[in-house]
Amino acid sequence: MNKVTTSTLIIFVLIAGWVFYLTNIKKDDSLTVRYYSISELASESNDIKKIKVGGYIKPNSIDISENDQLEASFFVYQNNDSVKVTYYGIRPDLFKDDAEVVVSGSYANNLISATELQTKCASRYEGDLKNIEKI
Amino acid sequence: MISQIGSIAISLAGGLIFSSFIFLGLFKKFKNQTYLQVAERAILATSYCIFLAFFCLLNELLISNFNLQYVAQYTSYETPVFYKITALWAGQAGSLLFWSFITAFFAVTYIFTTLEKLKTLKFHSYLILSFIFSFFILLSNFIANPFEPVSSDIIVQNGNGLNPLLQNFFMAIHPPILYVGFTGSAIIFIMALAASISKDISFEWVQSIRRWSLFVWTFLSAGIILGGYWAYNELGWGGYWAWDPVENSSLMPWLTLTAFIHSSMIQEKRGMLKKWNFLLATSTYILVILGTFITRSGVISSVHSFTAENLGPMFFAFLAILILYTVFWFFKRKSYLDTPDKIDSFTSREGGFLYNNLILILMCFTIMWGTLFPILSEAWDGNKIYVGASYFNQLNIPIGLVLLFLMGIGPLLSWNYTSKSILLNRFKLPLSISFLSGIGYMIFSSSFQIYVFVAIMGVSFTLSSILGEFYKSYKKQKKASNFIHSLGKMFLSNRHKNGGYIVHIGIVLLFIGFIGRAFEVEKEFSLSPGEQIYFSNYVFKLNSIKSEARDNHYAFLSEIDVVDSSTNQLLVNLKPEKRIYFYWNSDPEKRQPHSELDIYSTIQKDIYSIFSGYDAQKNIGYFKIMINPLVNWVWIGGVLMVIGSLFAFWPSRRDN
Repeated sequence: MNKVTTSTLIIFVLIAGWVFYLTNIKKDDSLTVRYYSISELASESNDIKKIKVGGYIKPNSIDISENDQLEASFFVYQNNDSVKVTYYGIRPDLFKDDAEVVVSGSYANNLISATELQTKCASRYEGDLKNIEKI
Repeated sequence: MISQIGSIAISLAGGLIFSSFIFLGLFKKFKNQTYLQVAERAILATSYCIFLAFFCLLNELLISNFNLQYVAQYTSYETPVFYKITALWAGQAGSLLFWSFITAFFAVTYIFTTLEKLKTLKFHSYLILSFIFSFFILLSNFIANPFEPVSSDIIVQNGNGLNPLLQNFFMAIHPPILYVGFTGSAIIFIMALAASISKDISFEWVQSIRRWSLFVWTFLSAGIILGGYWAYNELGWGGYWAWDPVENSSLMPWLTLTAFIHSSMIQEKRGMLKKWNFLLATSTYILVILGTFITRSGVISSVHSFTAENLGPMFFAFLAILILYTVFWFFKRKSYLDTPDKIDSFTSREGGFLYNNLILILMCFTIMWGTLFPILSEAWDGNKIYVGASYFNQLNIPIGLVLLFLMGIGPLLSWNYTSKSILLNRFKLPLSISFLSGIGYMIFSSSFQIYVFVAIMGVSFTLSSILGEFYKSYKKQKKASNFIHSLGKMFLSNRHKNGGYIVHIGIVLLFIGFIGRAFEVEKEFSLSPGEQIYFSNYVFKLNSIKSEARDNHYAFLSEIDVVDSSTNQLLVNLKPEKRIYFYWNSDPEKRQPHSELDIYSTIQKDIYSIFSGYDAQKNIGYFKIMINPLVNWVWIGGVLMVIGSLFAFWPSRRDN
């Protein structure tokens, strides 16, 4: 190996090292968020600072404040477990009963205070045939 | 009837592609050219069967044959013709057939053009092509057949129809454009492997694979940019890139392909870096399949919802075979791919390309690491950990800025070696312009952000360096009668180089758009008609909220006056809407709200307005306003990238 290749490699290794340092991300709260399944939360009694949860909105659980339409609470369920979520802000258009959502925020007293609420975007419309008129 | 033909065509394609393996085996055993020819014809016949199946499905969609499950799922009588056509790739089964269709198209092109020139690559090309082809045909036959009839006990009166939210032009066209890029990278994969296995890397081969790469790159770029454009104008979160796994998996192959386009130039000019290029060319397609695996298996949660049928294991097996095959041949041909020449100077064009490559690969690596992190961390200790956009930004902004400067440095370097005095001479002007604009930012901007500072310096450095190159070649050539004429002549004199520079200018403009992200502001608020609110130098006054029943939806129409508070002049009248599709449905669950944005777009900034909710009893509207500076530069840059690469790709008379 000649000089140029060697030094280039060294530079690359240094940069890669820096990247690894940064990507030692498990320890860095500002970069990562742990994903919990709802059944895991059901048995979790401690508070969690940062959390990400995916599931479906429990039918008839959406409660929108009388005073301020931006204030909402609802339950997210998966199989037989569910968790209550509060959220203040504009809700996505696809937000409704049984919609698949991903919420991020903090968890305390069996309640998620969401700072971010995403519904699965409709990039595909995988409708089943339930809307089809049958004879 | 037509659907039966389609169904038979798909089965026939399966049989034909299988037979090509047999004839390839016979050729290997008896070395009789006839067998090779038969295999070729089997592949061609497979392609024609796929064409036939594709047009059969198109026909069924157009005539609304709801006896087919696929047609009933994605179209209805009311679906406009354009969206009946785009339903071809709206669902799983259709998109897989569409994938085969493009593969077929490329297979025919590859056989009749590239392989005519590079005859020695035939055997291995056919082998790998047949393997890739057979995978998709297998899926269409056994897992997701678009010609599957609805179950016999129901008669479908009308289909589901396409979600009205997806009835958007850019939503409809960006997937196929991306698919063309994805599928085309298979040809690059095949060419790299076939040439290495048969130890036949020639100058013609390099030229040919470069042309394919440019073509594929154009489509990948266009697909990615159009996806962002659609998200920005339709989805209503005010951004165009969110580092979602689906987005990342289209960016990763783009990065390796970009690296390949640059480093293969060194191979073209000096015959070096064969091993490196082999890895880049093959990893592009492997990353495409990795991305498809990620997006279609559901192993990583993404806001883009995909499909119910799980193709994960199939794609995983396919991916594993591709990787093993590539790695096997890489080690087997290691000594053949070794090149004695080494790059001997930092300050050479080759050196520049090398840094560019390392940076691009680093970027690709960080994105892959972040995208796969949930899987890796779960495998490590059972905790599924997601990394947020902040991870990607923290790593990729500095890496991207280095890349930005490299685009300006590269053109100033000569091949082999650039002496110090020449270097100084060439860097003088761009560097001074860069410093001046940096100082200008410090003086005129109220706040200081280091990334913005570096980005402004980078943009001005690279832009002046490339424009300087244009000026030099303009001066060098003979003057034609007028300015426009001689400018045209200058551009046509070296298409590859000038096309490349146009792409680079496009990317610099992209960076200008990215700088704008540092200055985005947003506000959510509620207003009753007649009320107003002050935000970021503008006054937003809600004039009225009206409602109106339209063809296929019910709309609440707001009207907001935007007044520039410094001049006190009415700037624009924004009219974001809240729409309710299927409002006639008695079941409120079936109704579908949709916020129709209104964007006031200028070259300096966009004022982006969303009407997100309406409280009819209290007569209060809920709104979100974002001020997004410089967004238009992203689209301008994207268009320029595509124009530049088409310009470089288009064959010149000399090539023929």
